[in-house]
Formats: sequence, structure tokens, C-alpha cells
Amino acid sequence: MKEIVVIAEHRRGELRDITWEMLCKGRQLAESAGANLNAILLGKGVNHLAEALKPKVNKVFLIEDERLESYNSETYERALVRLITERKPWLTLIGHTATGMDFAPSLAARLKMPLATDCIGIEIEGETCSVIRQLYGGKINASVSFVKQGPYMATLRPGAFPVLEKDPLPGEIVPLPSPLAAETLARRFLQYVEAAVAEVDITQADILVAVGRGIKDAENIPLVKEFADSIGGVLACSRPVVDKKWLPKGCQVGTSGKTVRPKVYIAIGISGAFQHVAGMKGAGTVIAINKDPKAPIFNVAHYGIVADLFKIVPVIKDKIKGLRKS
Amino acid sequence: MDFELTQEQKDIQKAAREFIQGEYDKERILEWEQTHTFPRDIWKKACKLGFIGIHFPEEFGGQGYGVTENILIVEEFCRKDSGVGIALSLVDFSSELILRFGTDQQKKRYLIPVTKGEFISAGAYTEPDHGSDITLMSTTALKQGDSFLINGTKTFITNGCLADFFVVLCQTDPHAKPPYRGQCTILVDKGTKGLEATEITPKMGIRMTSTAELSFSDVRVPVSQLLGEENKGFYQVLEFFDESRIEIASQALGISQGAFDRALDYVKQRRQFGRRLVDFQITQHKLADMATKIETARLLTYKAAWNFDQKRIDPKLTSMAKMFAAKVAVEVADEAIQLLGGYGYITEYEVERFYRDAKITEIYEGTKEIQKNTIASALIGKLK
Amino acid sequence: MNIIVCIKRVPETTDADISIDKSGKDIDKSSLVFDLNEWDSYAIEEAILLKEKLGGTVTVISMGGEESNESLRKCLAMGADDAIRLTDPAFNGSDGFATARVLAEAVRKIPYDLILTGTQAEDDGYGQVGVVLAELLGIPHAAVVNRIEVQDKRLKVHRELEGGLEEVVEIDLPALLTIQTGINEPRYVSIMGIRKVAKKEIKSFGAPELNLKADEVGLSGSDIRLEKVFLPPVGEAAEILEGKPEEIALKVSEILRDKGGLS
Repeated sequence: MKEIVVIAEHRRGELRDITWEMLCKGRQLAESAGANLNAILLGKGVNHLAEALKPKVNKVFLIEDERLESYNSETYERALVRLITERKPWLTLIGHTATGMDFAPSLAARLKMPLATDCIGIEIEGETCSVIRQLYGGKINASVSFVKQGPYMATLRPGAFPVLEKDPLPGEIVPLPSPLAAETLARRFLQYVEAAVAEVDITQADILVAVGRGIKDAENIPLVKEFADSIGGVLACSRPVVDKKWLPKGCQVGTSGKTVRPKVYIAIGISGAFQHVAGMKGAGTVIAINKDPKAPIFNVAHYGIVADLFKIVPVIKDKIKGLRKS
Repeated sequence: MDFELTQEQKDIQKAAREFIQGEYDKERILEWEQTHTFPRDIWKKACKLGFIGIHFPEEFGGQGYGVTENILIVEEFCRKDSGVGIALSLVDFSSELILRFGTDQQKKRYLIPVTKGEFISAGAYTEPDHGSDITLMSTTALKQGDSFLINGTKTFITNGCLADFFVVLCQTDPHAKPPYRGQCTILVDKGTKGLEATEITPKMGIRMTSTAELSFSDVRVPVSQLLGEENKGFYQVLEFFDESRIEIASQALGISQGAFDRALDYVKQRRQFGRRLVDFQITQHKLADMATKIETARLLTYKAAWNFDQKRIDPKLTSMAKMFAAKVAVEVADEAIQLLGGYGYITEYEVERFYRDAKITEIYEGTKEIQKNTIASALIGKLK
Repeated sequence: MNIIVCIKRVPETTDADISIDKSGKDIDKSSLVFDLNEWDSYAIEEAILLKEKLGGTVTVISMGGEESNESLRKCLAMGADDAIRLTDPAFNGSDGFATARVLAEAVRKIPYDLILTGTQAEDDGYGQVGVVLAELLGIPHAAVVNRIEVQDKRLKVHRELEGGLEEVVEIDLPALLTIQTGINEPRYVSIMGIRKVAKKEIKSFGAPELNLKADEVGLSGSDIRLEKVFLPPVGEAAEILEGKPEEIALKVSEILRDKGGLS
């Protein structure tokens, strides 16, 4: 029976979202290929994470070692080379994250396994596997195949695969002895530091909440600002808002303002003049709120809400607050 | 025949493009334009990178390249922004006169600081009563012992209120026949007693460049400030124009290309009647005409530069380049505004500024009419 | 400190109109402007900054056709000392792994203390060449680096993680780092730099000089193969979220979680 393994990514005692995304995609692949889905968890004192993974997989291979307490490409590589060589999983999934980008390529090279990185789609076709990757900064998609027969390794782009609820699997935690010996490492983890917080830069935000002429008055800006804060977003705006000096120029998106590429862009009370659209068309997902169903913004948005912003925005804000608390 | 730029020239062009793109900030530029502010920090950076005075020899702070390399930079700067481009390309205006006719001491004293971003230079030729006609100067410089005493007024002086020194065309011998045989160019430092500069404002375009009236009232400078030979001033200035007009042509060329770039961007995005503007044949034909004119201006301008770097003087060719490129700049900027429609008329969309800045290239350094005179004289074979 | 920087010349596509070429396997690049890969411009700048501080040399290497000289010259003009181009028809179609193999053979010919690469390339976006190269050379590496401090025979580097977090690691030299954008401010090319480059020769090596067999590189040495490219599906008109305000709010929260990473 084929085996698909997901290398669980975790940091500071928590599994990262990419892990659930990989498990969900992994499950789908395993079902279509009649394969087992297993996870590999490396760390120290991570039993609670193994427990959390259990219902998502057939087996959780758990290696605990103090040298795995903090992520280190060298210890990860050593532990994984041993495990993968022994188990020979047909497909190994790793997150295309700062962590995955740091160890997946060297691991694949060491194991002489074909690697496809930063995949936004992956399917099993009989005895082979094909993936979809993006080229030129996401302007073009490419179907990519593996030349040789498996086993394969792929890194998956965070956020590209949805997390769906599935029936739990009869997971089993399989503790394995650590293969790491006491030896000097050429790379040593020192610490985590929080990056210095710079002045708010709308081009760097993952979530942008942009407000337009529809906000009507400066005194309504806080309504949208609070909404942005509640979802960890950054406030931006269209030209008329700057012209009226309701927000500083640095917040402006569009031809004469900044070009932004957030993951999610929420346009509130923005009609969608092409000068504005030019600055935000690179956004991953666009949600538009406008009371005019014919507003051109709905042509570029992925999701539209035809409503009075003063009525709908407070409801969304409260709903999300409630959900995040629970 | 070889129409290809050399590898080095392409690298210079690319370096200039990347620099001005990096420095370009529309918000800041529109503010400078409004407040008539010279882009001082960009100028300092451009000097540090060797863009200013690239055509001066190394021993005088330059990079030892020719006019061709210089105008490639001017074109790129003006293409990205007509106002900043013109301001930067004129910071060393008239320094070439020192380069050509100055003593080593004068070259060291004036040219090196120009390349380092310490000095801005200016040339004072035009007078209230003598614009295109510089054969007789009302500004006089009378020799008194070992100094010149300068009196008179110069107007429309580029960099007038910014310059650290001026190359001033003066009548030293009022009785010379013809009068232009009694003219000298004299170097006058900023702050010399009796010299005053007054900004001429507001004006149609080139608002980041200072344009001033200079008044000389018993300004005394040592005779060592004489540039080149006595009574050769008129000839020196004409020779200098032969080089500087190529630079103005390249300003015009850059402005045309910049206006075209903006118009092309716009018509690809803007939709009317259910189609992009660029999908209408009328738009396509306008673009074709604009691009053809620009390419023609480029060929003439580059040829004039190349010819100059071959150490050949051809006033007809430089005048053709200057006149034609300037005309194209005005036409292309005008058409760019038309393509942008109402937006084209609005400052924020820049093409109206390109249009206003383009117009000066038909006026300064010899109006288009003067250029035609020069071209015609050469054709007819009769120099005045 | 002797530093090697691996760079790539790529088309600028951010603001360009893109169309697919006749092969169906790439975009039409005929009207695109090419430049040094953005990540690589930070890598070369970092190398030059280290050289200016500590002395040593910077050698820049690029695998690509003769047109790659343009980017190599740019690096020289910025302050690199030597440039090497790896050109061979056999290299065409190399995936990330095959590219790293070619680079590794070139790197072995040069003494070095540190290798820098960009974290990824703007065109194919593999984000793997640097790390594979380190593995092939048997040296330690760190990816997505946004700060470097030199401490005698080792480095203290910051790796950029998600959500404003950084990981600080210590790494022994020789080592390879993949550089993240924003680590520095890449300098402009100066005219003085261009003049210096005009006198420099760019060395070029092919597969034979690197002792590489044709089946180890290019398409035949690659593990993955691009079958075709296509435009990402574009959403026609927006999907209108309907229902009571609470239901709409719930949908928005789901979108934010799925697409925006909101937990």
C-alpha cells in the first residue's frame, strides 16, 4: 500500500496552519490513491501535538529529542533521512514556508528524491504525480510532471489548499527512537526575535481593508479601522478619501498611490475606478462591499456583498470577534 | 554604418534608467513642481554616481565619456520625469565652455566641484533686449587695470538663483566692427559684489529649474576670470551651442518618450464603449504616428551626438536635431493629453506637465526659428 | 572574506502584459525587459557590503546564455570583483536541482568562505537552488536570511519567518545563505562602476570544463518537467454573498481564514 506522509510543521508549541492544509490535501490524495496518510512529528515535549494530529492520519511517527526542540535544518535532515529511507513513503509533503524552504531542498537532494516546490495543486495519476506551480510571480500557472517514478517530494504553498472537515481516522501514535547522535552541529538555533515593527506599510499587509468615497465622512473612518483591527488587517483607501484628507496619502491604493498584493483585499464603499483597480488587481482574494450592484468593483472582486456598508460592516466585525474568541 | 549603442552605452542608459526610476516619487515631484523647488537631493546623488559631467575628462572630475553618453542620461532622466530631468541635465549648463576654453586652473576650480555636486553652473547670454540675437551685448565689461568692471542686465538665466558661478557674455569692446568681434566670456562667482539674481516666476513649465534675471552693477572681477581669448566670446558661445543644442534635443526626446509611455499605459487600461481605448483603430494610428516621430527625433539626435563625438562640428545637424526633437516633444505631449482626455488635463496624470515642459525646448538655446536660420544658412552656403 | 554570489537574469513581469508563447510551455518574452532577479540584487549588495567591511573578494556566477552578461556586468559595476558565466546548450531546461548541480561544479573551482543566493527567482520561483547547492557542496546553510552578523569563523544570521517573527541561528563558515529581499538597500550602478567593468573579462564555462555529462544537466538531468503553462483562472463576476447579515458575516470570516490566514 502506498504511503503519503506529511511533515508536521510546528513552532512554539503550536501546529502551524500549513500542517492542517497538508493533512487535508494529503487525505484527499490518499483516498483517491488508496494510500495510507501518516504524519511525521519531530520535536521535544510535543505529545500534545501528536494527539492533535492523531485523528487526521493513520499514524503519527513521533521522534522526540532535545536536539529537535527548536527547528534546525541539520537535525531535521538527519532524522528525516533515516526515517524516509526506512519507510520509503511514496509521497512526502512539506510546507513551502520559511521552514520548509530551509530543509526540503537539501533533504530531497540528500535522498535523491525528485522535488516540486511551492505547489498550488497536486494530483496523483496512476503511478505518477503531477502538480501545478505558479511562474512569474503568479501571472502564469504551469502543470509540471515528475520525470521518474516515485517516491516524490513536494512542498505546498500555504493558503493554497483549503482545510475541510473530514471523518476522523483511527490514528495511532508511533514513538520512534531518535537517530540523532551527540555531535557538533555546524548550525545552531539561538532564539526567536520579533521583528521591529515599522510604520504601517500597506504593501506588506496580508489583509487590507480599503475604504472609499462611500464612507461619506471622516468621522466614519473609525468604523472601518476597528473592523480592520479586528481581523488583523491594515487600513487602506481609494483616492477620494485622501483628497478629502480623511486618511494620509500613504494609505492610498491605485495608480497614483501604492500597488498592493495582499492575500485578501476588502473594498468597502469603493466603486472600482480602473485607477484604483490598477493598484489592487494583484490581490489574492477580493471582497467588495457596495450598495450599488452595478459598481464596477464587482467585476474584479471574487466575492461581492451588495449592502449598505454602515449596516453590514459592524455585523461582520462582531461576528468575527465572536468566532475568534470561541 | 552601425546603429547599435555600444555595450558600455547600453549599461550607462540602463544605470540612468534605474537611478531615476528609483528616485522617482510622484507625490514629492508634484510638490516640487508646485513650490518651484529644485530636486536637490536627487542632484547630489546623481553627482555621486558620476552622471553629472560624465563627458568631462577624468582629471577634471568627469568620467571621460562623450556627448553621446551624456545625452543618453539626459533622455532617460527626462523620460521618467520632464521636470526633474531638465533640472538635472542643466546643472552643469555652460560648464562645457570652461572645458573647451578655460585654463587648467579654471577647469580645476569650477569643473571638479560641478561633478561633485558642490557647484551649479549657469550661462548668461540673453539680455532683455537681445534674445536670440547675441551679436551685440548691452552688458559691458570694461578693462580697468587688472580687472573687468561689468554692468548690465541678463535675463531668462537658467539656474540664475541656484548657480555658484556664471559664464557671462559681455561686450568688452563697444566699438568693434562688427560688434560680435568685441565680446568676451567672463567667469563671475555667485556673491560677487554688485551681482544680484531675481527669480522670474511664475512660468509655464520647467518649474524645478530656476530662471532668473541677473543684474550687474559695477561688478568687479580680476582679468584672470576671462575665459579663453579676448574678443572671442561670440565664437565660443556659438561653438558651445553646437554641443548644448544636442542636449536640449535629448531633453525633448526624453519628454516625448515619457509622454508616450504614459499615454500607452492609459489607453491599455481605459475602457470606453465596452472596449479598451487601445482597441480603437484611431488610437492605434495615433500611437503609430507618435512612435514614428519619436524614433525619427531619436535618430537625428543620436546622429548629432555621434557626429560631435567624432570631433566634427556640424551646426546644421545639431539645429535639425534640436528643432525637430523639440517639435516632436510638443506634438507628442499634446497628443498624449488628447488620448487621456479629461484626465490628461489634470496635473496628477503628468502629461500636461510634460507638455508645458516640452514647450521650452522649442524656445531656449535658440528658438526653432533661429534653428531654421542656421539650417538654411548651411544649405544656402552663406554664413552671416 | 571571499564570497560567491549566484545570480540569474529574469524578465520583469510585474507590470507587463503576459501572453503564452507558441510552445505553450512559457510566456512570450520578446517584448519584456530583463533584469537581475530582485532577490539576487539584495544578495549581491550584501556580499559587497561584507567585502567593504571585511576585505576579500566577491565572485558572481550565473548559469544562462550570453545575455546573462548584462546582469553579471551589473554586479561587477556594483562592486563584484569577478564574474563567471556558465553557458552550454546542454544546460537548457534545467530544473532547480540540475541548476544547483551545474553551479556546484563551478563553485568547486573557486576558494570561498561564504556563498549567497537569492531566496528565490522571480520567474520559476523554485526557491530551492541555494539550499540544494549547499547540500551538494556539503556545507551548512540557512534560507530566507534577512540579517547577517559576522563573528570570526561563524555567522549569526536572522531568518525571516512568518508573521513578523525571526529565527536567529549561528552557522559555521564556509556556509551558504539564501537572501531575502529587504535585507539592505541595493545600490545604484555608478558610471565609475561601468567604466571599471568595461575592462573586465567575463569568463565562461561549458559542461566539459565543469566535468558534467549531458545527461546530468538540462532537461535530461532534471527530475521535474514543465508540461504546459496556462493563465490562472480568472473569476468572472464576483460571487455575490447573499443571506442575512449574520450569514454573510460568517462567510466573510471563512474567506478570511481560508485566503487570508486569519486564525
